[in-house]
Amino acid sequence: MKEELFASGRNIPNIDPYLNIWHWQIPGYLFLGGLAAGILFFASFFTIMGKEEKMQATVKKAPMIVPFALVLGLFFLFLDLKHKLYFWQLYTTVRIQSPMSWGAWVLMAITPLSMVWAASYVRELFPKWDWKYNILKKTEKWVIANRILLAWPLAILSVILGIYTGILLSAFNARPLWNTSILGPLFLVSGMSTGAAVIMLMSKDHKERKIMGRIDILLIIVELFFIIHLFMGFLAGSEVQVNAANLFLGGKFTAPFFAFVVILGLLFPAVLEIFELKGYKVPIVVPAVLILLGGLIFRFLMVEAGQITRYLY
Amino acid sequence: MKKIKNDGSLYLNPYLGGVILGTVLLLSFYISGRGLGASGAVKNTVAATVNAVAPQHVEKSAYYCQFAGGDKEPMSNWLVYEVLGVLAGAFISGIIFNRLKLKVEHSPKITSRRRLIFALLGGVLFGFGTQLARGCTSGAALSGMAVLSFGGYITMIAIFGTAFIAAWVLRKNWI
Repeated sequence: MKEELFASGRNIPNIDPYLNIWHWQIPGYLFLGGLAAGILFFASFFTIMGKEEKMQATVKKAPMIVPFALVLGLFFLFLDLKHKLYFWQLYTTVRIQSPMSWGAWVLMAITPLSMVWAASYVRELFPKWDWKYNILKKTEKWVIANRILLAWPLAILSVILGIYTGILLSAFNARPLWNTSILGPLFLVSGMSTGAAVIMLMSKDHKERKIMGRIDILLIIVELFFIIHLFMGFLAGSEVQVNAANLFLGGKFTAPFFAFVVILGLLFPAVLEIFELKGYKVPIVVPAVLILLGGLIFRFLMVEAGQITRYLY
Repeated sequence: MKKIKNDGSLYLNPYLGGVILGTVLLLSFYISGRGLGASGAVKNTVAATVNAVAPQHVEKSAYYCQFAGGDKEPMSNWLVYEVLGVLAGAFISGIIFNRLKLKVEHSPKITSRRRLIFALLGGVLFGFGTQLARGCTSGAALSGMAVLSFGGYITMIAIFGTAFIAAWVLRKNWI
């Protein structure tokens, strides 16, 4: 491994004054990770509550895409690594204070669990499927009998995964826009909202969509509150934090942030969902896709804007 | 809102609609410092697309140069965002009045295909005209007349005068 030698802490290419190391891979991964966390949380939550039959798409259908989302997200992370072949070294240590370590281990646990969860429903959704080997058939039988046992760790791990997608950014203490602990809950809620949107897209049951729509409205309200809280916190902070907030409150990210994330990604879908609950006919694909796009753009903006905020002037 | 007859045939009173549109225009001047517009958003989107596909062409073209290329950001424009808002608002209106479905409205005497071709032709002509007139019904006529611009009145007369003649010539498509 070649190390570069810096004689000064200033004017380092791609690090100072602006960070320029994270590109589309990171927001892409954060989006997929949050979405997977959201779906897994709802799937395990409704299983624990004993509502598998009432929430078919939530518990059975939507989790089918989770392993693909996670693997694709991990592939994005892998693409982002400078020294790709050393990725395994993350698994040689456990560091409580390192978000990378948290992420690596949570993904190590949740990815196979999500695969087992999805696999256990494959035969129900595709009746012609045959697991061929006896050991697989036996494992499937055991998993089906012990789903609650699987749901609990999945529920807990999905919350950790959702929060971790925000912590990955907030652990950067040199970037004021990211260095706030509200990012964890904010990304968790946003991820759950995108997960709910995917479930609404996949569900054909009107009652289930209504339940997810209600949950989604609540999540959107909480998310809006967190966003307000995020900026309140910055504006009450030091000069650098005020500068970071100003990128979104008059600076170059204002229009895309408020138009695509706050209005078209949160408020407008919430209004459409309220109309649907009131009995009006709304094609569910519109609010759902807008929520997904809003979530994706939100992560792109946060990663992009965070890299140009700084402490040293 | 009372749901008396919500089968998709209910429309807003046009006079009330006009007053609301005027209020929107006033608010637009107050909030954004600019009027309303539609063709400008299309123009900027086209300029941004051309700039993404063939930046050399933009640099050479005197027309595109005004909106794209260099440091210019054609998509970060009030009109682009305004049109997104128009789409969102129209969608909500469609939900409230129960008109949210895909359909081609045309006279029973002509086919959907004919209607779409004529709509496209009309759109192309109108788009070309807006660039000669520096604005469309909303950008030049409505916003222009609101600030008592002489050009606004001329545009209004030209658009509606021509439309009157064209409507007579093409009346067989409707009646």
